[in-house]
Amino acid sequence: MSEMVRKASTEEIINHWIMAVSCILLIITGYGFLFQLKQMNILFGSFNVMRAVHNWAGVVFTASLFATIFNYLHESISLSKDDWNWIKMGGGYLSKGPVKAPPMGKLNTGQKLYYLMVLAAGLAIAASGFSIWIIHGHRTLTLVSHLVHNLAFILFVVGVPAHIYLGTLANPGTFRIMIYGTVPAEFARKKYPKWMKEIGKL
Amino acid sequence: MTTTPKNRKAILVTPEVCIGCRGCQTACKSWNQLPGIHTMNSGSPQNPPDLAPNTYNIIRYSEVPSETNPVRWLFISRRCMHCDDAGCMKICPAPGALYKTKEGAVAFDRDKCIGCKLCVAGCPFDVPRYDQDNKVQKCHLCFDRIAEGLQPACTKVCPTGALRYGGRDELLESAKKAGYAKIYGEADLGGLGSIFAFKEAPKIYGYADKPHIPESVVFWHNVLKPLAVIGLGGAVAGALIHYALIGPHKDEEVKKS
Repeated sequence: MSEMVRKASTEEIINHWIMAVSCILLIITGYGFLFQLKQMNILFGSFNVMRAVHNWAGVVFTASLFATIFNYLHESISLSKDDWNWIKMGGGYLSKGPVKAPPMGKLNTGQKLYYLMVLAAGLAIAASGFSIWIIHGHRTLTLVSHLVHNLAFILFVVGVPAHIYLGTLANPGTFRIMIYGTVPAEFARKKYPKWMKEIGKL
Repeated sequence: MTTTPKNRKAILVTPEVCIGCRGCQTACKSWNQLPGIHTMNSGSPQNPPDLAPNTYNIIRYSEVPSETNPVRWLFISRRCMHCDDAGCMKICPAPGALYKTKEGAVAFDRDKCIGCKLCVAGCPFDVPRYDQDNKVQKCHLCFDRIAEGLQPACTKVCPTGALRYGGRDELLESAKKAGYAKIYGEADLGGLGSIFAFKEAPKIYGYADKPHIPESVVFWHNVLKPLAVIGLGGAVAGALIHYALIGPHKDEEVKKS
């Protein structure tokens, strides 16, 4: 049995699952509202039920989003020269063979940028969603919220499938972090040398 | 959205012919079984002061002195305009909550309304109202009467012809023949179902010169909605193509073993 290192805490794993499920539920119901998809009645019974699901899933998503701030924000805003080099080579995602990527910390540049996008778009979609839900009688505010909600929605429907693909099929061995929170030390030394150095396991 | 039926019906409002009797308000409440409401005297005979969940139409009493008539009152019917390209229907997320009847009326189904109130923001004329059950309420052109070949309650009782119901094309023609300066709603928003015969600029009567659906809603409808499909499709297709052409990430070690 090879040596394992813990990358995600139990709290992180649970919170990520809460966020994933609520986010996917919000995207599905979101498309239902966007295109008035009557077929959604098969899943939810009525649009009134779907509205309740969408709104309350939004509450869960927002709470989960705030929890992620403690987990990922500090790491995500610490960008260095290595990150710039990573961006220049596109993280090596577009090359067939093994590539020498710049040394990464606990999160790679793509993950950091993805998190910052999720945080910004998440705060925007949450604030605009609550505005549409709760605040009435301010036409301009409702219209702006409606626009912001839909703009952020597009970021999510592009970003989330890409994130899921990169965390599963594209990078075998990463998905286990979402279940066990651990990765083989050998794997971690290659992928996150700076972080391994920090925790003294390099 | 140009679903204009050939036999589209409409109401022609001619403010100068209105005597302000408000029979239309009463008839509307009577047919639609809408309760009266207590209101305060605000110094104007206009009552109720505005549209409400249980008030589908009102006569606005507008004091607009002219050069020849220093005490001129204008009595203008205010109600749903039954737009052909209706902002409320465009923004509504619930299928069937707001719908077009075959006569061209914008009607609503309370059971399907989810109470989000987006139609209030989407309406260019500030018409939709919400009742205590958080359901949309507004003039529906008496869709139940007109479907049976009757005319709406309001036009039925109008004693002067200030409100006239009929085929939209016929009403437009007769208003033009009568020589009104401006036929309001002939082409706006795809053509309104409440058309107005004005002697002067619409502003005098309290209506915007060029009513339009909010730009953000049009942008959302024409750009963001397609983009939401293209974006998701593109992301999924991109992932599949990447997997097929480049494949999963492999480390040297994996290759060796």
